[in-house]
Amino acid sequence: MPPAVEMLGIRKTFPGVVANKDVDFTVEKGEIHALVGENGAGKTTLMNILYGLHQPDAGTIRLWGKPVEIRHNADAIRLGIGMVHQSFKLVPSFTVAENITLGAEPRHALGLFVDRQAVLKNVTALSKRFGLQVDPTARIRDLPVGVQQRVEILKTLYRSADILILDEPTAVLTPQETDDLFAVIRSLVASGKTVIFITHKLREVMEISDRVTVMRDGQVVGTKNTKDTNPAELARMMVGREVLLRVNKPEAHPKEPVLRLENLRVRDDRNLLAVRGISLEVRAGEIVGIAGVEGNGQRELVESIVGLRIPETGKILLNGQDVTARSIRDRREEGISCVPEDRLVRGLALPATLEENLIATFYFKPPMARGPLLSLQATGDFAREAIKTFDVRAVSKDVPAATLSGGNMQKVVLAREMSANPTLLIVAQPTRGLDIGSIEFVHQRIVDARDRGAAVLLVSAELEEVMSLSDRIAVLYEGQVVGTIDAAHATEQGLGLWMAGITDGGSESRKEAAHG
Amino acid sequence: MADMGGLDKSLQPKSARRAGLQRQLRSAAQRSIRIILSILASMVVGSLIMLWYKQNPIQVYIWLFQGAFGSQRAIFISLQRATPLIFTALASMLAFRTGVFNVGVEGQFFVGAIAGTYVGYAFRLPTIIHLPLVLLVSFLAGAAWAYIPTIMRQKLGVSEIITTIMTNYIATFLTSYLVNYPMRGTPTTPETPFVQPTAKLAQFVELPGGLGKGSQAHVGIFIAIALVLVLWFVLKYTKIGYEWRMAGISSRFSQFAGINMDRVFILGMLVSGGIAGLGGAVEIIGVWRKYKDLFATGFGFRGNLAALLGRNTVFGSFVAALFYGSMEAGALGLEWSAGLPRQLIDIAVGLIVFFMAAEGMWDFVASKKGWSLSGLLRRSSGKPQVQGG
Repeated sequence: MPPAVEMLGIRKTFPGVVANKDVDFTVEKGEIHALVGENGAGKTTLMNILYGLHQPDAGTIRLWGKPVEIRHNADAIRLGIGMVHQSFKLVPSFTVAENITLGAEPRHALGLFVDRQAVLKNVTALSKRFGLQVDPTARIRDLPVGVQQRVEILKTLYRSADILILDEPTAVLTPQETDDLFAVIRSLVASGKTVIFITHKLREVMEISDRVTVMRDGQVVGTKNTKDTNPAELARMMVGREVLLRVNKPEAHPKEPVLRLENLRVRDDRNLLAVRGISLEVRAGEIVGIAGVEGNGQRELVESIVGLRIPETGKILLNGQDVTARSIRDRREEGISCVPEDRLVRGLALPATLEENLIATFYFKPPMARGPLLSLQATGDFAREAIKTFDVRAVSKDVPAATLSGGNMQKVVLAREMSANPTLLIVAQPTRGLDIGSIEFVHQRIVDARDRGAAVLLVSAELEEVMSLSDRIAVLYEGQVVGTIDAAHATEQGLGLWMAGITDGGSESRKEAAHG
Repeated sequence: MADMGGLDKSLQPKSARRAGLQRQLRSAAQRSIRIILSILASMVVGSLIMLWYKQNPIQVYIWLFQGAFGSQRAIFISLQRATPLIFTALASMLAFRTGVFNVGVEGQFFVGAIAGTYVGYAFRLPTIIHLPLVLLVSFLAGAAWAYIPTIMRQKLGVSEIITTIMTNYIATFLTSYLVNYPMRGTPTTPETPFVQPTAKLAQFVELPGGLGKGSQAHVGIFIAIALVLVLWFVLKYTKIGYEWRMAGISSRFSQFAGINMDRVFILGMLVSGGIAGLGGAVEIIGVWRKYKDLFATGFGFRGNLAALLGRNTVFGSFVAALFYGSMEAGALGLEWSAGLPRQLIDIAVGLIVFFMAAEGMWDFVASKKGWSLSGLLRRSSGKPQVQGG
């Protein structure tokens, strides 16, 4: 039996970069094939070529043994390839069934009107056939992320995809949702589909895949049977050297409190109460991790501490001073630094150069400023130094931030925020979308900041990250802290229950509840 | 020791710089080709229209370019037409760079012009005080006019696009009223008295040497050029310049970094309005020497356009304003020499600007047609396709 997908000698160059160098990639029918590699290794480019979004400069593609030409993604869909992108492409105000059939709706005899009955019937039948439970009449905007992803998968199945490409599907899911997704993937394979699974979480590779292909620098390093390999070997293949899979963290020595939140209440953009009475303390020399499913008030909490959002009530005390009404710059000058969760929106100005990005919190004071003038000597020196210290891989300080890979972008943000020697460092989703090498780097820097005496507030949707980095963990659910616990005593199951809003002691004893 | 071979993607600095230079040269070459294509395309469409009107298009375009660049007089007329456009283009550019869509340059230009005119005829002062005073007052008047939409956005959250358009109307009618009634100089026509000799900018013909006979080009062009240099310096070498640029690139990033966005926005808008007002006064005391009702319209809008054509850069806006001014001068020459209907000429010039503004269209056309123009321009032209079965 010929393989489902054969990509031979694929080569793709973008201006200045070779994204794929003569890549050979084969996927057998009915397997779950994990495609792993650091960001910028070329995985997504390769899959975009298969899906017809890019044209290769050289190479051939065969499906089921037959050479094919894929010029547009319409060709790919016709050939039975479906792709679920990292960011979903759904219409929020449409129902599940409407989204699934959009663009290929069953129509009444004349072809003018959509046959709504048939839409509903087809979608119900489809979801039953593959065991993907959805309510076809629910509106997308009301559904949790995990279900939206299921809709995306159904969309490809509706277009009779036999080969499914999932681009980092677990990046947005809770542990429970990930388990559900894996069950779905297994049932798809059982019904004869072939799945290509892009990820850089090695735990998931080990759990779900049959075979795994590792890419690095645009080339395939190797393909292994999953049962014949282990995470350490895969990590080494991805990075090209040995990698620490655990964070190297000495014991914490917390000192005086740096940040104190007193009964903070904050509204979100829709004017709903997103933070509902949070009190919290972060001391110098400790990392406090905020765990929780995204959308439970983390964003608003961070924005109010930084000064982007004015709390409705409550107090924010920094080193004993009330900063609740102070400007963002004042707070930064008082020692707050923040690695924001929206790296591409808040953390960086993408079209601006690295230098312009790096000096944004320093340019107004000596040595960079001399009266109203900027010293380009000083800003340039600072930028070069920061790029060197934080190991940013860039051609020069004068390239736009947009040209960097995700990991290097995050290094630029870290370089700027850590160069201020903050007394309070807030890091939100610090390693989202980063590759192993960069994650290791970022984690080490966070621990270093703590050991230099900074108070660190870590917000992350990755439970593993919170557990391995934090000294204390607070779990956020619907805008409230449902519990705090020493990281040493925390278990994944226990935190998972808290994240779902389930506390063992009822509402009175939410804080400091006994655990695990 | 860990093997870093796989990670070491950093290039040698020197070769990197060379690669960067090559990239810049290549993109400059691509841009030039696209501009030339734009001009050619506009000529093709323009020619069709002219043929329809039974005119010889080749002759018309030759006259157009002769009228813009063909003689000393032509060049000076081009300069004269370009001078106010440089001011309004720079005003627009600064606002756009700051992230504000100031469509009110037109009104700020008029208000600056009339304020400058008043100071010009109502006071008797030595030149060394009078001239700077006219310029200063016109700058402040333009800035003050820009303050209305600014404060409405800051306090009430009204989009500056709407309010600047509305204040344009108010400015037009307000100046019209002033010229018709309180500031009227002669009973016969709606215009102010002449400004004092001490408040004039000399025209080149009035200077020894008498350059540019037949034009009203004046030394205000040097003020415009000085302003180009000042703005370039401010944007590159000052704190407020950095803040303006960053605010324009990403307001959400700038806010997060602690930049006071209110201050940056207000200052950007006021300086933009001030530059427009300054341009109005320079046009009056250089060319007209008095304010005539409706002495000119559309400088603001053409300035907006020139800034966009110049990709919102200081020098780009300057060059685009010069080009636009030249085309207008050429159109004037054509009207005199060829007796073509003015509307036809305006269409020809409008088409050139339209196609230049639609530069991005080339990429679009290329991507739709399956042949890649940018691919042709890149070195890797004959790119192999995936073999089909």
